[in-house]
Amino acid sequence: MSRILHRVDVPILLAPAGDPTAAVAALESGADAIYVGLKGWSRGGAKGELTGEELLEVLAAVHAQGRKLQVALNVIPGQGERRYLIGRVAELIGWGIDGVIVNDPGLLAELRARYPGLSITASIGAAAMNGADVAFYRDLGAEAVVLPGTLSPDELRAAAQIPDVRIEVMIHMVEEFLMLGKCWMPSYYRVNPTPLAELQGEGSRLVGSVKRGGVGVCFKVCEQPWGLYLNGQQVTERLLPSRQISPINQVSDILDAGVDVIKLQGRSLSPDLLAPLVRRYRAAIDAWLNGTPLPPVHHEPSLDQSWTVARR
Amino acid sequence: MARSFELNTTLSNLRDLKASDLSPYDAIYLGNITCRLYEANLLERPDDLREAIAAVKSQGLKAYVTSYAAPRNDFLPRLRKAFNVAAEAGADAVEVHNLGVLKIVREAHPELPVHIGGFANVYTDAGAEVLKRFGAIRITPNYELSLEEIGQIQRQVEIPMELLIHGKMPLGISDYCFLLEYEEAWGMKCPDLCQQDLFLRQGNWAMKSIGKGVLSGHDVCMLAHLLGLAVEGHTHFRIEAVSESPAYRLEVGRVYREALERAFAGIDRTEERWWETIRGHARIGLCNGFYFGKSGMEYVGARRGAEASGLGRPGTDLLQLSQVKGVIR
Repeated sequence: MSRILHRVDVPILLAPAGDPTAAVAALESGADAIYVGLKGWSRGGAKGELTGEELLEVLAAVHAQGRKLQVALNVIPGQGERRYLIGRVAELIGWGIDGVIVNDPGLLAELRARYPGLSITASIGAAAMNGADVAFYRDLGAEAVVLPGTLSPDELRAAAQIPDVRIEVMIHMVEEFLMLGKCWMPSYYRVNPTPLAELQGEGSRLVGSVKRGGVGVCFKVCEQPWGLYLNGQQVTERLLPSRQISPINQVSDILDAGVDVIKLQGRSLSPDLLAPLVRRYRAAIDAWLNGTPLPPVHHEPSLDQSWTVARR
Repeated sequence: MARSFELNTTLSNLRDLKASDLSPYDAIYLGNITCRLYEANLLERPDDLREAIAAVKSQGLKAYVTSYAAPRNDFLPRLRKAFNVAAEAGADAVEVHNLGVLKIVREAHPELPVHIGGFANVYTDAGAEVLKRFGAIRITPNYELSLEEIGQIQRQVEIPMELLIHGKMPLGISDYCFLLEYEEAWGMKCPDLCQQDLFLRQGNWAMKSIGKGVLSGHDVCMLAHLLGLAVEGHTHFRIEAVSESPAYRLEVGRVYREALERAFAGIDRTEERWWETIRGHARIGLCNGFYFGKSGMEYVGARRGAEASGLGRPGTDLLQLSQVKGVIR
């Protein structure tokens, strides 16, 4: 029995999977739930999205182990596309998925009205940053809201005090210079409409737009060197700041704050990179559940390859 | 076609307000949405904000109070105070970029009209419909939308859209000010750093750095398309001059005041002197943002084949918006 509507008694480890083998690796490594992208409808990029057939395969594997599957539909569809997508969600519900992840308030509200029993998560791309945002998305119909791992345990505690909504934290993520959900720098320089085959000319992904892209969404202009000019004179050439965050040694503080779901970014990770990442966070959550200290090997996040999220 | 329109701009602090001749404008947004530490940010100074609202209204202009683009939890008490001041001092509306803040305003001050800012990510009619239901009366759609998409939303949801028609378009917001890394090297400290003339450049790509955010390097310029905007039913226009000089605000504002009056009278002509003023203030060049379905940096002049830099020869003969759309499709 949940303490409060949509909250959980035992924290959930939610892992990404960009293909069926990654899903199996995540399950074997201790993920409680998996999220995947549906081809053409998520921000995941070419390596991070599943065809319908692959999704069914992953769904069977996940449910066979009593775990759950969320489907990311986190691009913002145009009007005609939205009608198609809302119909497609009915098909996904029929398949037995356990929830969807969206980042457009309009789509969220429409899905809630159309499918009252559907579990809907407001994606990290919805750009919730504070408790008031969490309350807004709850009022709109979200069962869960994803917050960035850049928030402090105190900030997460304030968010977790909002009743009747599950709090997810993207604890392992790349913090880019511009905030996810508040950036349209790539499309300022380059944007290419790419028709969506399944919509037969009625819809396209805007490659270059973080919000409306899909396969190959963002070409990362922020990761290229820029000349910094002061009063017309170049003073330096530099990269814009970005960093991998993965504060595994704060898991206990974050869970103490009332967070329900520990979420990992990285749908483009290969199984051999994803598995150790999931195992480490499984160990951290289990240590908290058992009231034991985090195993020393996990205290300082190493910067070896397994800690690098391949770029979306 | 409507006969009247609103031209507005943004000011961050009392200093800029006192230094600026606001005669071209109908309304002023007050406050800096990017950073709490911006010099004397009106959103952090209730007394200054009260004085600013009074000063704007005493000039016969509407006073709007804006709010942070990406507020963390500890920003919210300050914003609540700013909204209290807005209500007490008779601000004509508040602008929110954040949906939680919308909820706060509606609960605390249901009498205050709410405008939705460009960082609120309104991309669709469904999104606009939700925000209208939550009390919004005007929306600045996300800057990535084309005029065709914006028009569709306006018609379907029946809510006015505010358009940035000139100035540097916001491209994103950051939680981290990298300019702080240069305090020692440049011998300057926050909050002076972000007020310097700072650009990031890579080949012919450029953007203006404002510390915790970036703006387009090119100035969005819709001077050649105002009649089309009027015909499409748009009546609320912004010149984004928050990071510009008082001279920019005044001179560019005057150009657009005159040009909008002419466009709303149905007259189809721009003046070379207007272009000279615009060119004189554009540091990098001109662009049309995303309004014509292209990447934001491109300039789609009224003539086919207008140069991307925008500083070449912007058209002086206006075409109807529908014709312009025909050119770019």
